[in-house]
Amino acid sequence: MTFILELVREALRNLGRHKLRSFLTALGIIFGVASVLSMISTGEGARRAIMSQIQQLGIRNIILNARKPPDEGKAQTQGTSFRLTYGLTFHDRDQIDETLPMIEKVLPVHDLDQWIWFGSRRIEAKVRGVTPDYFEHLQLVPWLGRALTPLDDAERARVCVVRNELLRQAKYVGDPLKLDLKVGTQFFRVVGVLPDAEFQSPNRLALGIDERALEVYVPYQTVIDRFGLQITVRRAGSRESSEVELHQIVCVVDSEEDVLPAARGVQAILERFHEKKDYEVTVPLELLESRRKTQRVFDIVLPIVAGVSLLVGGIGILNIMLASITERTREIGIRRALGATGLDITWQFLVETVTLSGIGGLLGVALGALGVHVLRAFTQWDAVITPWAVALAFGTSCLTGVIFGLYPARQAARMEPIRALRHE
Amino acid sequence: MHAARTDGPIAELRGIGKSYGTPRNPLPVLSDVDLDISSGEYLAIIGPSGSGKSTLLNILGCLDVPTWGSYRIEGEDVARFDDVRLSKVRNTRIGFVFQSFHLVSHLTVLENVELPMFYAHRPRADRRRRCHELLERVGLGARLHHKPPELSGGERQRAAIARALANDPALILADEPTGNLDTATSGEIMSMFGELHRAGATLVVITHDPGIAAQAPRRVAMRDGRVESDSGRPAAAAAAAAAAEPAP
Repeated sequence: MTFILELVREALRNLGRHKLRSFLTALGIIFGVASVLSMISTGEGARRAIMSQIQQLGIRNIILNARKPPDEGKAQTQGTSFRLTYGLTFHDRDQIDETLPMIEKVLPVHDLDQWIWFGSRRIEAKVRGVTPDYFEHLQLVPWLGRALTPLDDAERARVCVVRNELLRQAKYVGDPLKLDLKVGTQFFRVVGVLPDAEFQSPNRLALGIDERALEVYVPYQTVIDRFGLQITVRRAGSRESSEVELHQIVCVVDSEEDVLPAARGVQAILERFHEKKDYEVTVPLELLESRRKTQRVFDIVLPIVAGVSLLVGGIGILNIMLASITERTREIGIRRALGATGLDITWQFLVETVTLSGIGGLLGVALGALGVHVLRAFTQWDAVITPWAVALAFGTSCLTGVIFGLYPARQAARMEPIRALRHE
Repeated sequence: MHAARTDGPIAELRGIGKSYGTPRNPLPVLSDVDLDISSGEYLAIIGPSGSGKSTLLNILGCLDVPTWGSYRIEGEDVARFDDVRLSKVRNTRIGFVFQSFHLVSHLTVLENVELPMFYAHRPRADRRRRCHELLERVGLGARLHHKPPELSGGERQRAAIARALANDPALILADEPTGNLDTATSGEIMSMFGELHRAGATLVVITHDPGIAAQAPRRVAMRDGRVESDSGRPAAAAAAAAAAEPAP
């Protein structure tokens, strides 16, 4: 071991004697490693982004959202007030629940379009009537207090769970769990606070949350019983009212394998009972599937790019080491005369090559990390450098050194001592 | 010094021949050389260039192997040695001093002297201590960290001698050690060899300078790849003495 360490020291000194040459030789490895590292990092970043996106939505969920049909316009206008009925229905919910056995639970959601009042100030938030299961299946874990319970639902309790952001916007500084929130004309006691969440726009769309992400969750039955289904929006000079039975239905499938067949079943049911496309289906698992397809391309391209760049780097090293050995023939002869075995000489040059490629690997990792940093600063790509990617990139550079260093080192060891010594 | 075998010669050459070239077109450079070198001997090999003296020295030093004949070093037949054994013999039993010094130019004097001990896997501290001791002994105590190109020819050769002594070799082989030096420096180097001899070292020096050869108690003359005369072989020595000085 100390023998190898001394060889490494010797190699470093030797490489240091020709700094420019060593640097230029390692350049191929540097770029190879940097490109490999940045490719793996962007791939990993994309993978994590998809994974967190899917995690937010739930891998076993199928999420249905009500959408206002695009061409509805003012066709049904009667004077200055009109009525619009669209979206998901109780019937949809029952059909899905009854006909698709692989769907474990169907979670209905009814939104309220009501102002939240803090004294005289009002905040526009999304008030969602949800069943207690909704919290579990959409990863809503209160940060303070509790989630809604079946008892809340059964009692039509006037309780709610809010986003922390809402309290911040309301500039409320007291104990959140002592707050009675005024929703429309009714008071709801805050029983839980959800941590702030960041949603990417596709997820916001899939979950039916607006940009502010200021949701207030109230028990589903409370909403249905206390507020009814009709929503009236007052606009200047007109009364626009719309009726939506359910704004969202989340279908929880019993296992991951059944998600895609279940999604096809849900689609079929909706197509049968809806004349217009006033709904939207999001299947988080499909995102994963499409991601896997991209990943497959990546899995083929990455090793090729890595292989080619490291091959080029390795050949550069091979070339210089062969030249260096010719140049140092006499030194090899001297060492042999003094008792170095062929194996000692092999080790010496192999260690030198691996040291060179290892330094190249380190510089490559640094360059790659810098590249990833720049990429992150100037693009939307969320590249992530993982320790295993660094280890892989660095390990490959060392392996390149071993592979391309072995031949020159063997050449050096095979020289006849007497001829090497006489070499001018 | 080293616990060398005292019974029998250090080097024992019998019918040694060396041929370069192909079997079809041989280029013999040595033929039928018999030579015994005992512990503590100081031997000069003289002869014109092309007489095979360097080849003989290389064979003695296990840098080259004979084509015919047997060479036993400290009783062991070199013909049976593989690369590792030959390297080990060169490393621990032989010390080389070359005409053109053969120091590694990018290493310091200290590191050059350290090399044989490095290949003997001696611990670093031990190596360093021995290097200082040796370089002090050859008068280079102040030049430890100089590189060979910064030294004079005489200093370089003294460094080379220090290196040759590093592992306490049984046999010190010098190939024209003063060939690249002026007369005064040559004298210094040769007196150093004389000291080594008095200290009990076994020395073989190749030279074509009769003045230098005359300092060695035993002289072997070579011509055309053969031993022409050997002042150390009892019969031959007597004959040579008889031929040189007619009986009174």
